[in-house]
Amino acid sequence: MNLFRPFHYSVLVLLALFVSTSSGIEPGESPAEIAFFETKIRPVLVEHCYECHSTQTGAAEGSLELDTRQSTRQGGDRGPAVVAGDPQSSWLWLVMSHEDSDLRMPPKRERLPDTVLADFKKWIERGAVDPRTEAPMAKEPAWVKAGQDFWAYQRPTESAPPHVTDDAWPTKPLDYFVLANLEEKGLVPSGDAQPQTLLRRLRFDLVGLPPSDADLKRFQQRIDDEGLDSALALEVDEMLASSEFGERWGRHWLDVARFAESSGTEANISFPYAWRYRDYVIDCFNDDVPFDRFLVEQIAGDLLPYEDDADRARLLIATGFLALGPKNLDSVDQRQFQADVIDEQIDTVTRAIVAGSVACARCHDHKFDPYSMTDYYALAGIFASSKTFFGTSVSPANRIGGDPLLLPKVNGQHVLHASLPKSRVETLKTQLAQLRAEKAEMDEATMMMFSGKKPAKEVTLRDALRIFWQTGSVEGELEKVSDTGEALPLAMGVLDGDEIVSAPLLQRGDINKPSTPIPRAVPHVIRIHDAIEMPEEQSGRLQLAQWLADPEHPLTSRVIVNRVWHHMFGTGIVATVDNFGSTGERPTHPELLDTLAAKFVQDGWSIKRLVREIALSRTYRQSSTYGDDAFHLDPDNRLLWRASKRRLEAECIRDAMLAVSGELDLDRPVGSLVGKVIGDRPISLIGLDKRLPADLDGCVHRSVYLPVIRDRLPDVLDLFDFAEPKLVTGDRETTNVPIQALYLLNSPFVLDRATSFAARLNRECDTNEKRIRQAFLLCYNREPDQVEMERSVQFLGDEILGEKNAAYEAAAGATTDAVPTALLSFCQALLCTAEFRNLD
Amino acid sequence: MYNIPKSGSASSAAQVFPSRRSLLKSAASGFGYLAFASLAQEAAARDATPGSSLLQAQPTHFPARAKRVIFLCMNGGPSHMDLFDYKPALQRTPAKGAKSNLMPSPFHFAQYGESGAWVSEVCPHIAQHVDDICFIHSMNTDIPNHSQAFIQMHTGSFQFTRPSLGAWSLYGLGTENTNLPGFVTINPPADNGGAANYGSAFLPAIFQGTKIGTNQIPGFYAALLKVDQEPGPPLKNMKNPRLSLAEQRRQLDLIRDLNSRKLQGDEFNPEIEGAIESFELAFRMQDEVPALLDLSDEPESMLRLYGIGSGLETDRFGRQCLLARRMAEAGVRFIELTSPVGWDHHFMLKDKLTESCRATDQPVAALLSDLKQRGMLDDTLVVWAGEFGRTPDAQSGTGRDHNNKGYTIWMAGGGVKPGLSFGTTDEHGHQAVENPVHIHDWHATLLDLLGLDHKKLVFNYAGRDFRLTDVYGRVVNEILA
Repeated sequence: MNLFRPFHYSVLVLLALFVSTSSGIEPGESPAEIAFFETKIRPVLVEHCYECHSTQTGAAEGSLELDTRQSTRQGGDRGPAVVAGDPQSSWLWLVMSHEDSDLRMPPKRERLPDTVLADFKKWIERGAVDPRTEAPMAKEPAWVKAGQDFWAYQRPTESAPPHVTDDAWPTKPLDYFVLANLEEKGLVPSGDAQPQTLLRRLRFDLVGLPPSDADLKRFQQRIDDEGLDSALALEVDEMLASSEFGERWGRHWLDVARFAESSGTEANISFPYAWRYRDYVIDCFNDDVPFDRFLVEQIAGDLLPYEDDADRARLLIATGFLALGPKNLDSVDQRQFQADVIDEQIDTVTRAIVAGSVACARCHDHKFDPYSMTDYYALAGIFASSKTFFGTSVSPANRIGGDPLLLPKVNGQHVLHASLPKSRVETLKTQLAQLRAEKAEMDEATMMMFSGKKPAKEVTLRDALRIFWQTGSVEGELEKVSDTGEALPLAMGVLDGDEIVSAPLLQRGDINKPSTPIPRAVPHVIRIHDAIEMPEEQSGRLQLAQWLADPEHPLTSRVIVNRVWHHMFGTGIVATVDNFGSTGERPTHPELLDTLAAKFVQDGWSIKRLVREIALSRTYRQSSTYGDDAFHLDPDNRLLWRASKRRLEAECIRDAMLAVSGELDLDRPVGSLVGKVIGDRPISLIGLDKRLPADLDGCVHRSVYLPVIRDRLPDVLDLFDFAEPKLVTGDRETTNVPIQALYLLNSPFVLDRATSFAARLNRECDTNEKRIRQAFLLCYNREPDQVEMERSVQFLGDEILGEKNAAYEAAAGATTDAVPTALLSFCQALLCTAEFRNLD
Repeated sequence: MYNIPKSGSASSAAQVFPSRRSLLKSAASGFGYLAFASLAQEAAARDATPGSSLLQAQPTHFPARAKRVIFLCMNGGPSHMDLFDYKPALQRTPAKGAKSNLMPSPFHFAQYGESGAWVSEVCPHIAQHVDDICFIHSMNTDIPNHSQAFIQMHTGSFQFTRPSLGAWSLYGLGTENTNLPGFVTINPPADNGGAANYGSAFLPAIFQGTKIGTNQIPGFYAALLKVDQEPGPPLKNMKNPRLSLAEQRRQLDLIRDLNSRKLQGDEFNPEIEGAIESFELAFRMQDEVPALLDLSDEPESMLRLYGIGSGLETDRFGRQCLLARRMAEAGVRFIELTSPVGWDHHFMLKDKLTESCRATDQPVAALLSDLKQRGMLDDTLVVWAGEFGRTPDAQSGTGRDHNNKGYTIWMAGGGVKPGLSFGTTDEHGHQAVENPVHIHDWHATLLDLLGLDHKKLVFNYAGRDFRLTDVYGRVVNEILA
């Protein structure tokens, strides 16, 4: 939770002092008087007054600003704050000394010490000498100014590829930048990787699956026929055109979009319609929707023109991006809940798209980056003028409720919940009417009690809760169906609200301390064009989206290009992919990043073209061979002197197991386990539901379709470092712990895969040597060497005596899939090896 | 963003892994099965003699006062003025006319034990142990915001990815029991830095914490459904349903041989080295962990002591505390428990803080009694700490805000002075004034208790020696027994 952080005082004090030292001195003011002001008066004003009365903080309570001589003399709503020589006419003195019973400053605190008051009195009496002649950089605090000079806020410009000595090496412009850097450090790139290693790397990076035996053969054939460059281009183009590409790259965006199918936090209620957004993202990556358009759809799809109902439904689903965040549905305070939803939306939009968080400025101006509270509340107004739909209903675990977003009906659309008989709808409506009548009765009784009269009917808390919950449950059922009981197509998303508002700046982010309303706007540190007009009749989400997706926005293109780079090489050019602020890392290849970003925009924001450019580069093609000298110079391989060795993500590990066992179902399943079985209910209870597999897996579809439940992920995702779905996650962790080993050694999922894998080998091969060779090809995409072959042959021939396959013999007659224990054990061993889940 | 370097994690790799690398080079260089067999033999011999694994028990820099740590992590920032840092001045009604935002503690305080420490009425059980406890009332940390403070408490740095306290401890000490993970964390929070709080960063991955967790049914539904816990084991996948242990051992040998073969080709690949370690550890864990996690052999009186039982508020933390004692007994080096109820009391502090105490006070006290009665408190350091404290000022009228400038943590056993109250905050509890102890100082002291010099416990990563305390930290000698 973002709550008051006291440190902002000290930051403001320092900044205020820093900013205003350059002010001039009026003639006739003695240095002693000025010294008196600087030592006795200014520090007190800074510490106790500026927070609510200064240009810098953007706060002018009672229209009073105290940070210049002029504004101090002029005063605020009540009149001049300081009248030179006359403390009794100076409001500043009156409120400080608590002489005025109605207004005492500083607010809600004890009176300032008598010595301080004496200083102020003396100061005013002696003419209130005040050297602060100008507003300190009006409306532009120093750190905003500093921020404007920061690299990430400059528009990226394209550079010509630098000169390199070995100009035979590069195949793509990006290679020149990488090579120039290496040459400068006296390093040489590694040689090309073996074709099978390269194909394995490409397949996992582009489509998230291992190459099949046929893929390897075809690739080799193409190399023989047309050469490596051409063969690679053919392979890459086929992968980009396959629907598996979207499943792989859509998942990367889902990490960033903190996609999940439950609310998380204490209540953790499932979101039954979240899966539509997942499918939307996958489709966008497959269709190569231009990235700028993709962003606008997700932030303001509901405000875009559409061709037909199908288009409208798609655009509404896109706004699910804003609705999917974690939500404290157990909140007791609707206003607090609303403020937290808006905060989460601001945080996600800014972190995901421009890799910096404006949300830090909820309670105080940003400590490190140039975002002020004004920026924050200007954005908050945009979201406060919108309504978020998430489709959960009131229950004992959910006080908030949450409407679903109704989609237009479209042919072929899947609706996972059941229709109701018309009679049931009638019954529910009757129940609802009764409950509402009861509620009215109860409200009346409560009013009677408050006014001290005896109510006609006794009201208990129990009744109140029963009515609240039952109403919630009936409403929840009714909102899913039409009047005739037909199940309605529903989604999560955002529409403009009934009212277009300016959000008030909340002091310290406290909803109980609203101050000046801030007009809606985009953060002003990044000025692309002249001021953006916020429409009177719309929330402004469309303008925000267009600002983010502007070709001249300095961050948007850099951030996404860097994310793509990160997925292709394991580390971004800016390693901190979600933080391009001053606490983030600087780019290792700044000109390269800028050139890629500029070209990406020119190229129509095409992710596929960018991926292709990188995949066909010489840099990408390098082997991962270790080199002592280079390693000691650059152990993290930030200069890219080789391909980085990488652990595969959870989804790849699982999908690869299904691929080698021959069981993988590449069709997209309809909906998700959450939509189909779990529905809308507390996740804390699903462990008691016997219909759900204990590992929340139990299917053979691609992992991207597994349920993503906050704090309750399917085992394989949880154990192998899936992106934390509460947070924008551009860079997953990689851990290596014994419970992963236990999963691979003992889980029913892996044992089932090993069994099918063994059965497949038995079906496809008739000798152990052939089985071993095939197993190595499937798992590692290479032949076993002699050592490995001998070891494996020995393993298969040397079964533990007595265990000689009781299961096999018992089941031999019953199923063709029965396999010898040693072969099962061997197959599982391969799935457990590090090489299976790592890329070279 | 937490980010374990994905390749080439240490330029000092050769120094970190000398035995294994030379072993692999000599053993598996293309002689087929015989080479593997000898490798396997050597590996088996290595496993039999503790001392050749990365996790082997290490000599300390000087004699250790504590052999292990149980860290009771009070996530959210417990209010020191309402628990252990009695502030009479706060209780006084403000002078007439003076506007004050101070919020008196809604709780009564009394003095306990020979040491006369003040404890609030909400901790009646811990109050009985004050003579074993060393309170530090003058803690301070850099940032009053959960995620930063929480991660700084765990790693020393909120800006950079650094190994956690538990990982450093394990790196420095090795493990007492190679069949169990040396660093366990039970129910850690997923936010506030998540796994970074028990991660190993640039230290070898084997030093990171192993997460153990069970799912509890929330109180309301537990009462309704008469079930307070999900079915299923606390740690899944502890037994192979298809293969005998002998076959699994044979399988594991194959996995290790194939991994070693791959490692030999790669020359340096920490991911594979980590995998070899973690599979061996996993195999041994299968043996020991189920027995360890099974509380059914504990006598009824022990369960009662910890407050374990269906529907009891203390049940969840009671189980965790008892588990912690069992793990400590079994030789786990660093055990972290996270309070199942939070301490972030911005609103309704009176009710909510009482709830948090009801859930944890008795189990914590039971842990102290139990350790003491077993003679384990002498060399087990128990730490009770949150990421910061709270303000004496009221927030929203009924709660308190974050306060990083002064707050209380306490430690017991393991070589700290019992019955001591060290350091003070100002009269209202706003700020540490006397003997302030920063997070870095606390880390230095904790390592010192474990026999480790925080300036000498270093790891060379990419050319620079890193330590838990960076360039800071002072051992608070005044609190050492």
